[in-house]
Order: sequence, then structure tokens, then C-alpha cells
Amino acid sequence: MKEAPEGDDAKKALSYSKFYAGKVGVAPKVPVRSLQDFGIWYTPGVAAVSHAIAGDTELSFELTGRWNSVAIITDGSRVLGLGNIGPEGALPVMEGKALIYKYLGGVDAFPLPVRARDQEQIISLVKALEPSFGGINLEDIESPKCFEILDRLRGELSIPVWHDDQQGTAGVSIAGLFNALELTGRKLRGSRIVLFGSGAANLATARLLMGAGADPKDLIMLDSRGILHPERDDIDQLMVKNRWKYELAIKTNGDRVKGGLKEALTGADALIAAAGVGPDLIKKSEIAAMNKRAIAFLLANPVPEMMPQEAVKAGAEIVATGRSDFPNQVNNSLLFPAIFRGALDVRARTITDSMVIAAARELARHAKDKGLSKTHILPTMVEWKVYPEVAATVGSQAVKEGHARRRASKKELLDAATEMIKHSRRAMDALRESGVILEPPE
Amino acid sequence: MSPRNRPKTDPPRSASAGPPSIRKASKADSKDIVELIVRLKRLNNEFDPLFGVVPDAKQRAEKYLASSFESSGTLLLVATSGGRVIGVVRAEIEERLFYRPAREGHITEMYILPEHRRARLGQELLRTTIRELTKKGAEIIVADLPVRNEIGVSFYTKRGFRRLTETFAQMPQ
Repeated sequence: MKEAPEGDDAKKALSYSKFYAGKVGVAPKVPVRSLQDFGIWYTPGVAAVSHAIAGDTELSFELTGRWNSVAIITDGSRVLGLGNIGPEGALPVMEGKALIYKYLGGVDAFPLPVRARDQEQIISLVKALEPSFGGINLEDIESPKCFEILDRLRGELSIPVWHDDQQGTAGVSIAGLFNALELTGRKLRGSRIVLFGSGAANLATARLLMGAGADPKDLIMLDSRGILHPERDDIDQLMVKNRWKYELAIKTNGDRVKGGLKEALTGADALIAAAGVGPDLIKKSEIAAMNKRAIAFLLANPVPEMMPQEAVKAGAEIVATGRSDFPNQVNNSLLFPAIFRGALDVRARTITDSMVIAAARELARHAKDKGLSKTHILPTMVEWKVYPEVAATVGSQAVKEGHARRRASKKELLDAATEMIKHSRRAMDALRESGVILEPPE
Repeated sequence: MSPRNRPKTDPPRSASAGPPSIRKASKADSKDIVELIVRLKRLNNEFDPLFGVVPDAKQRAEKYLASSFESSGTLLLVATSGGRVIGVVRAEIEERLFYRPAREGHITEMYILPEHRRARLGQELLRTTIRELTKKGAEIIVADLPVRNEIGVSFYTKRGFRRLTETFAQMPQ
């Protein structure tokens, strides 16, 4: 296993975890005025509710908390920068995710790391869990296993399945890219975009970019063996082992550029790096080979592929990273709570790529309304009003596409999402004020 | 934005380079054919470790091909697009010693570059192959491929071929 992380946050995380022993719990939503009430909430009264749902299982979205419940599923096979640390090791991360879901999106998310031998077992576990949930969040599952699992579950379940490492990262990346392109006087179509790294995030980014109108021929992807193109020696191997990467190797790179990062970046407009921990994966000379007013997203955490100030020195005009201590943070947490808020509010059956693209455009619009600059291409997590607005966009897109069980206007969705998210924040304030949630020990 | 300093690359030979055509191979195609044959052998290796490819596969493929050009019983077809070879078939006429039908058209290699697959080129190539083998008197058409090569198995199965012989293998202990 890799070495234990260090630093102030790491120390606090360990001591606070010991103090609180878990970050989320189950809280009642109904009053218990006296023990008599259990005759309503539980037996015998509850039998009438069960009877109704048994007759029409869709009622489970109306008469129980299913509509607002998301399972956070992982096998712990690719957790943060730690690698394959197993389901127990993944539990604190999934708890943290559940906390963010609740606080920023008003979503009841359940951390559910599972012990699974292979992808088939994960798929059958998730299918077995479907009746209890309104949505599934897959997390920290290694590539390419995660692609197969997502594709299969998206096809086989009638609740939304989301893999945050793919769609979440990709959604926020393209939102930032939309604004960066605009700021530098470019259009998506016709811009040459280099995707360095062909893992979960960038394969999804490529797919979303094409969905948003990018010409696949203008995309160049690289993996650890260099630029993807249809004539690569390992192309048959890719077809057998990673058909997602294979499809992109066939479709992208219309000019058949061959070689490494230098060749890919020569004459490129934008770089999206999700290649691995830096800071020396990209050279200044490689950034310098890009077109003027270059855009560089350096998304590896905790250390970007190259330090942002180095990218600026090499000529990049707009730089984004995955970190909160630099400007332009490409942060999944900007999207997933809002995506699910919107999807759950209309009882969506799925989250399509076009819903994610609509969410990304809304995210981009929000930053634009506040004024775009080199250091402001994305909103930040503190702008909480972004969440209900993105949620309403996602919900109404689901309605438009026919994936919603419940129809509602955008205004209604905005009001509902605002209320849900406000409620979550009010609950946190109330729990802290009343001492139910204690302040951490110093 | 127009790319600047973009290095010169080979002209694109994507599917857009014009519809592919099929013809008999000539010696001028040798270099391309050798590349495709080696790719095919490597593909087989992806499916089964018992098809480990030798390091000098290229040299062996060159010799194999040169002797194929000399043999009258061997059929070599190529599919081309934009002047480049994108697919190849090698087949030969063989006599079955104990069985009827006796004259066998035996497809030993067939390979199409990945980007040109799923465009009915394989079907076209197979049809031409069968036609040419029939002209040479073939009464039965067989194709040889590793059973674990799912792509090949599915290709022939979909086109009405069935399993004829099985080769069993084990590594001696």
C-alpha cells in the first residue's frame, strides 16, 4: 500500500473520525408524538402502505423515501490516489460523499462499499439493491471495469446510475472548457483539444465533448503509450481489452498525429490532463508548443500533472486544476449533488449524456453571469444557488427527453430543489445549535 | 484556430478515403500485407497465450508471403482504400485425402484493419474469396482460426459456417 497521507487535514480527519465515529446517520422525517404513532409508521398501519405499493411498485417512489435515496457503491478498487484499498478502506470516503450529497443536494445517500470478486458480482449486487433506491452512484471502481458496469447498469436498471469518476469529472471539465473557449475567442467545433490520459474521466470527457458538438477528428487522446490512432500496434488488443478506448482511437485524431505529448500539443488549443500524479508529467516546452491563448486543465490530485504557475510561465492563458488552493477548481462536488437533486425530483429513470451536458452548460452559464476571467471559469462550492439551478436544468431535461416519471415545470423544479437544499442547510444549523451535532474537540 | 507548427503527417487513410475495392494481391503490396499478417497473429495472441508470437514474425511473414506468391494453389486478395492495403485474405486449395467433398478451399488468414471493420468489407472480401476458390474447383470452404478468437468465430458463424474440426491442446507437465 502507498504511504499514509500527511498534513493538517489528514491529522484532523483521523482525530475527528475517532470523535464522531461516522459522518452520517439516519434521522427521522416523521414526528413521534407518542408511542401510539408507531401504529401508523409501523405495524399495523404500515401494512396498508405496503399493500398499495405491492399493487403498484411505482408507488414506492411516492409513499417511501426511495425517491430521495441514492446508494453509493464501490468495491474499493481505485480509491483516491490510494489505489485498491478494499471496501472497508473506502468507507470513510463514501461517508464523506454521502455528507456532501446531503448538505449540498439534500439527497439521502447511503455509503455502501461492497465485497465483490468481479464486475458481474457488482452488477448483480446493484441490480438486487434497485428496489430500495431512487438512484445509484458508482464510485472509485477501477477502469475499464467501471465502463462495463456503468453501461450494463444504465441499460438494465430503471433508476439513474451515475459513475462520478466518469460523468462527474467530465461534466465539470466540459463546463470549465466551455467558458475557457469562450474567453479565448474559440468555438468548441474547430478547436483542437488534447486529452492526456485515457482513464475513466477523459474517456467520458471525450464522449461528452462529442455529444456537445465537438468534431471527433479535432480531439487527440493519449494514454501511457502515446497518442491514440487507428494504426497503433496495440489497436486489436484495445478492441479486446478496452473497447471504450478503442472506439475513441478509431474515431478521434482525424489528422493521424502520431507520437507523444509534444506532437499532440503542437498546434493544440486546449489540453485536458487527467493522466496521473505530477508535477513532472508535462514539460514547459510541450505547453509552449500549443497555440496562443492556450487552455490547460491539469486535473490530477493531489499534485497536478504540472504545477499551474509553470503552465502559465510556459504560455498557458487559462489554467484549471482539481485543487481548491488554485483558481479554477474542477470539482466534482459542483455537479453530482445537483445532478441527483434534479434527477430525483422528477423520479428520472436514467441520467443521459445530454442531461449531463445541459447541467454543464448551466454550470458554465452561472460562472459567466458573474463575469468570466482567466481565474474565474467555474463557480465554487460556496455559491449554493448554483445547485438548485443545475438541478432544475437536469430535471427539466429529463422531462423533455421522456425519462421522467413525474412531470414538472422548470420553475416548479427550481422551487422544489431550492427548498430541499435549504432544508438540508437549515437542518445542519439546527442540529449544531441544539447541540445534537457537537463541535469538534481541539 | 488554425494549427501552427503542426508537423507533417501521413495523409489520412480513414474510411473517408473512398470506398474500398478488392483485387488480387501483387508483389508491390507485400510490405502492407506482411504488416497485416503480423497484426493478425498478434490478435490471436490477445485471445490465447498458446499463440505467443515469435519475435521475428515479420521476417517469417515475408518468407511465407513470398512463397505464397510462387504457389499456384494459393489465393491472395487485398482490400484497398485510397491506395493503401486495408485488408487481406490468404487461402489455398487442398485435397482432402479420405473425405468428400474432396477439394477444399482453405482460408488460412483473413484480416481487416480495425477502423475499416463493421462496414461489410469482411463480408465482401469473404464473398470474393469464395468465388475465386470456387473458380479453382473448391467444393467446400473452410477457415482456420483459434477457437478463442471471438471476433473471427463470430464472423464465420454469422455467415453460415459451422465448426468442422477441433484441435485440442495441453502443455505437457
